[in-house]
Amino acid sequence: MIPQSPARESSTERADAESVVAAKGLVLGYGERIVLHGLDIEIPRGQFLVVVGPSGSGKSTFLLALNGSVPVRSGSLVVLGRNPSTLHGSSLERFRERIGFIFQSFHLVGRLPVLHNVASGMLSRIPIPQAILRMYTRDQYRKILEALRVVGLEDRVLDRCDRLSGGQKQRVAIARSIVQEPDLILADEPISALDPRSADRVMETLRRASTEFGITVVCNLHHLEAARKYADRIVGLNEGRVVFDGPPRELTPSAVKAIYKGDSDPEDAPDPLHGEETPSPPSAA
Amino acid sequence: MELEELRRRTHPLRPANLGILGGGLLVLGVCWHQTGMGVMELVAGSGNMWEYLRGNPEVPDSGFFPPNLSGKMLGRYLLAMLETVQMALLALVISVVVAFPLSFLASRNTLEIIFPGHSSFWKTLRAAIYTSVRFFANFTRSINEVIWALLFVSAVGLGPMPGILALGLHTSGVLIKLFSEGIEGVSRDPIDALAATGAASPKIIRYAVIPQITPYLVSMSLYRLESDLRSATILGFTGAGGIGMLLFDKLKSYENGDVTTILILIVATVAAIDRVSAFIRSKAS
Repeated sequence: MIPQSPARESSTERADAESVVAAKGLVLGYGERIVLHGLDIEIPRGQFLVVVGPSGSGKSTFLLALNGSVPVRSGSLVVLGRNPSTLHGSSLERFRERIGFIFQSFHLVGRLPVLHNVASGMLSRIPIPQAILRMYTRDQYRKILEALRVVGLEDRVLDRCDRLSGGQKQRVAIARSIVQEPDLILADEPISALDPRSADRVMETLRRASTEFGITVVCNLHHLEAARKYADRIVGLNEGRVVFDGPPRELTPSAVKAIYKGDSDPEDAPDPLHGEETPSPPSAA
Repeated sequence: MELEELRRRTHPLRPANLGILGGGLLVLGVCWHQTGMGVMELVAGSGNMWEYLRGNPEVPDSGFFPPNLSGKMLGRYLLAMLETVQMALLALVISVVVAFPLSFLASRNTLEIIFPGHSSFWKTLRAAIYTSVRFFANFTRSINEVIWALLFVSAVGLGPMPGILALGLHTSGVLIKLFSEGIEGVSRDPIDALAATGAASPKIIRYAVIPQITPYLVSMSLYRLESDLRSATILGFTGAGGIGMLLFDKLKSYENGDVTTILILIVATVAAIDRVSAFIRSKAS
């Protein structure tokens, strides 16, 4: 396991003492449009939470609010002991140091080798002159290699990212989050762009990172089978409201039906883990 | 949409396209007429061109062919050509050193990274910096190298130095424009990914922006090296050193065999630099 620096340990201890995320009556929106209506949720440390729901149900907006990218309209939101909406400048930077973010389209620099893409996750702890020269300490190299071991890509450390497959790129993105030593990882549709085998590998990797390092994960997914297989807890959103909140075994066909109620084209999201064998959410209901 | 309506709106010869084509042709026609362009004049006068190349039979060695390849003169021309290459190289270094940092201040996307903030103060600051740097770039590149060279000759006297300074200043303006256009075209995704980790702006630029634009910067810089080399030959006419001074001298004294030798050297040098540039570009991609 990647040892945490003293400063990180103290922040982790703080996170231990409280829920990593606590929202009460949380309302989020853009301009006139309300996207999330009065969300109440608590996420304890170490939980692997999957948020499911049709497109436009508010999943991504919720994730963006957690790292302070979308302001809170009303209600309260506490993430890692802070209200993200009140943070600006360096305080927001310090807050985001504790949160890893995994994007659907990887957001890597294709021309850079895996090494520097992973290292970019620890930029907040690298002094500017070192960062400009892309010079790392032995300890930083060790952490990068350890993270690449966890995601199974230690032998690709010097390969350029644009020469990797989609699944490998997403695993590099996970390694980037691991070296950040976050208390919380937010993953927005991390397997939507992947084939079933790569998707399975990415979800396994994310789950292992969560388990090995005790990182809380909030992951948006379109794929119910993946949610059932990897989540500790599933939250279902429909039109900005929580319509399901429970362990995977309680995600019954009627619950799925409630989550995807009114979804005009639910079949646009085939399950990459099981291809056509898995029925789309409404028909599973 | 009705078939006829669709056809009418997408037909390549629809009235709007014909209007643009007609307007363009009209502008070209006016330019052609007002500048006194004419094919017949060129055909009728082409004989004079051959006369000029053959030289005046009453003046010995006034023809352009054969080139003067006497060892003493060739050595002198080679040294002058080397001096011209040195001028172009030093001018390029000066212009890159000036343009590289300023181009980040002439790009809207990187200005938002360097000076984040949504208040009117930050918006005004960004606009002021952007406008100032763009004005500097426009000013320096709008004034021809020859004019800059005359100014610098008056300041530091004859020789390569005023030529280097003139080329460096003019090319700075060109490169700020070219670099900033490249920077504004980079993908936003890696920038968002690093901003989400709380990385500070210099590190975001180093890890997410510079790697994306490196091949473009190298390509543009090498193009300008070739361009500066050609310009440096003309700058010699102002007394700013290099092979241009000899070229001007030989043209004035109708030693056209020597002029041909110099022109062959210039073409060979530009071709050689083109080969070296292609090799460097292939390594930088």
